[in-house]
Amino acid sequence: MSRPPSTAIPRSTMVTSAATRRSVLRGIGLSGLAVGGASLLAACGGDSGGPATGSGATVKFGINEAEGAGAAHDRLAAIAQAYAKESGTKVDLNAVDHNTFQESINTYLQGTPDDVFTWFAGFRMSQFAENGLITDLSDQWPIDGLNDSFKQASTASDGKQYFVPISYYPWAVFYRKSVFEKNGWAPPSSNDEFMALMDDMQGKGVTPFAFGDKDGWPAMGTFDILNMRLNGFDFHMSLMAGDEAWDGDEVKGVFDTWRKLLPYHQADPLGRTWQEAATSMGKGECGMYLLGTFVVDALGENGEDLDFFTFPELDSSIGSDALDAPIDGFCVASAGKNQDAGKAMAKWLGSAAAADAGNNAADAPFIAANSGASTSTYSDLQKKSAEVVGAAANIAQFMDRDTNADFANTVMIPSIQEFLKNPDDIDGVTASIQEQANSIFG
Amino acid sequence: MTYETPVATAPAAARAVTPPTRKEGGVLSKRRGAVATVIMAVLALLWLFPLVWALINSFREYEYTQVNGYLSFGGWTTSNYEQAWSQGNFGLHMKNSLLITIPAVLLTLWLSSMVAFVLARFSYRFNLALLGVFLAANLLPPQALLIPVFRMFREIPLPYFMSDSGSMLNSFWALILVNTAFQMGFCTFVLSNYMKTLPYEIYESAELDGASVWRQYWQLTMPLVRPALAALATLQVTWVYNEFFWATVLIQQGDKLPVTSALNNLRGQFFTDTNLVAAGSIIVALPVLVVFFALQKQFVSGLTLGSTKG
Repeated sequence: MSRPPSTAIPRSTMVTSAATRRSVLRGIGLSGLAVGGASLLAACGGDSGGPATGSGATVKFGINEAEGAGAAHDRLAAIAQAYAKESGTKVDLNAVDHNTFQESINTYLQGTPDDVFTWFAGFRMSQFAENGLITDLSDQWPIDGLNDSFKQASTASDGKQYFVPISYYPWAVFYRKSVFEKNGWAPPSSNDEFMALMDDMQGKGVTPFAFGDKDGWPAMGTFDILNMRLNGFDFHMSLMAGDEAWDGDEVKGVFDTWRKLLPYHQADPLGRTWQEAATSMGKGECGMYLLGTFVVDALGENGEDLDFFTFPELDSSIGSDALDAPIDGFCVASAGKNQDAGKAMAKWLGSAAAADAGNNAADAPFIAANSGASTSTYSDLQKKSAEVVGAAANIAQFMDRDTNADFANTVMIPSIQEFLKNPDDIDGVTASIQEQANSIFG
Repeated sequence: MTYETPVATAPAAARAVTPPTRKEGGVLSKRRGAVATVIMAVLALLWLFPLVWALINSFREYEYTQVNGYLSFGGWTTSNYEQAWSQGNFGLHMKNSLLITIPAVLLTLWLSSMVAFVLARFSYRFNLALLGVFLAANLLPPQALLIPVFRMFREIPLPYFMSDSGSMLNSFWALILVNTAFQMGFCTFVLSNYMKTLPYEIYESAELDGASVWRQYWQLTMPLVRPALAALATLQVTWVYNEFFWATVLIQQGDKLPVTSALNNLRGQFFTDTNLVAAGSIIVALPVLVVFFALQKQFVSGLTLGSTKG
């Protein structure tokens, strides 16, 4: 699917539709297709897409949650409805399940995309911007209530904004309050306390960290946090962008620390999904679990007995003020029919009103990106999440959003799994990653 | 399959010539028969185990199996099926699958029977080459054609009453065409082989009676190849219905996906209720099983009839 940026859709469509026009004209003389040819031509012609807002305007809205997917879908559907009511624009909702949407995003954007669609901040958004697949939204920024760090996350490599954030969730170390209370444990604030806590857990027959990587991506979270703690946020981001060596001492150091921490993790992670790992934390067999706030979903409860702390510092010169907090939001597709309607809607989607409309309609709220959004529906976990992320100096988006998607999926998933299978061969794993990174990042 | 027919007739002939050294069981001796039975039973069990496992667990609550493990016993419920049906919106997607499968199968059978008729009944210089081309196209993996087909379909305009995207993308037409194209090679091959087994004399007398080529095809050949058509129809319904790849590539609108792709609706962004997915898979597999069992007789007779020439 690698295509030079210059062949972005609109232009190539124009070129090819010109070609059909010529060949159709040639065909008319031969086969008397005049009538059919004329209607083909009419279908080829670009349509303006109608007005941007108000009655008579239609905006197509593609969302990555299928109907019946629960709160995640209900929130987006309610947001679409609220926009239709407020602006008078008709909103055509296209709901596709999360994984299908994500896996077919390339054909979606190059085919017949909706005007506005749900997407992620970070490198993945930036990649589409470079290829001309999404529309420049810098004329819609700044948006009231979205601070500079969100603006930064919405900015692609050319310095323009292509994204409007709506919500986020942090990755942190989760634990059961009741289990910690019973054993007299407390969240560690330094590396020494952290090590002491884990030793104490092992002494009491509890595995310190629940761990599962059958799905491939959960262990990326561990790599991210270790890299940010050991080498710092800036190094992490340029490593993700392909600008640092994967076989250098820094990355080897991350894997080496990980190797030392592995005995504190559940054994044989490759045979365990994150859901199973979360269950063993829920049952108290494991003390802690480094995961996103969605850990609650696997426990089948509302999370009242859960709490979390950010991963403690490993190097005091680097501290612990960076974390993974993936941001979800919206982009406008360049191939969408009604660009103006898409832009107008995207701007509104960043508002506090949009977040409130979503949160008031669903059983479970998300953590709104807009600082003006109401927090009254938040659970305790979410209130704390908002605080922690607000206090963080640097926010990463998670490995599979911060780097090239091909690199994350086809290189990092198998490489990390290889490392977990055979933790002693760090040189081999890092050399292989670097070799593949060379061919992907060029 | 091909050895079935001789097996059925062998014992009678064998008994007549040689003294009855072996009893029932066809060409297999008793001991060999026992060994074969054991091997087949083991293989059947290996095949069935995951299916039965999914079936059993589709009737259990996720909370129960998650806490007690899948080797436990209990937590029985039928709510997975109700939830799968409503959450997956299977009613709508089943209808989509129907709208894709039936036209595609009919079109495939119709077109390939015409090609097969010509290939089997008329001798042109390029007959074999043509059949070869049809078969060769069958060997191409669809993945290799993904990008060309996608780009081609993007550039083919359709009027808006046929496709609301204005192009072949996002329309059932695209899926019907793609499935037809990919299945035609195989169908042509089977049907032309089958048609070659029809006695040539029938066509000679038809010709003498003044039957046109069309009439020879429609009124003479088609009724005679009905078993083969039925067998192919069974297979094609299964294949087209189960087709997953093209649907996810060519359809971008959630409410147009066929039921196999809609199975993904049961998975969340992170969380997957495996028992629910098992229930959904069984619902999706049911129509194929029904078609297969209903047409099973046709299927077997169609295949064996084709295999023994003349």
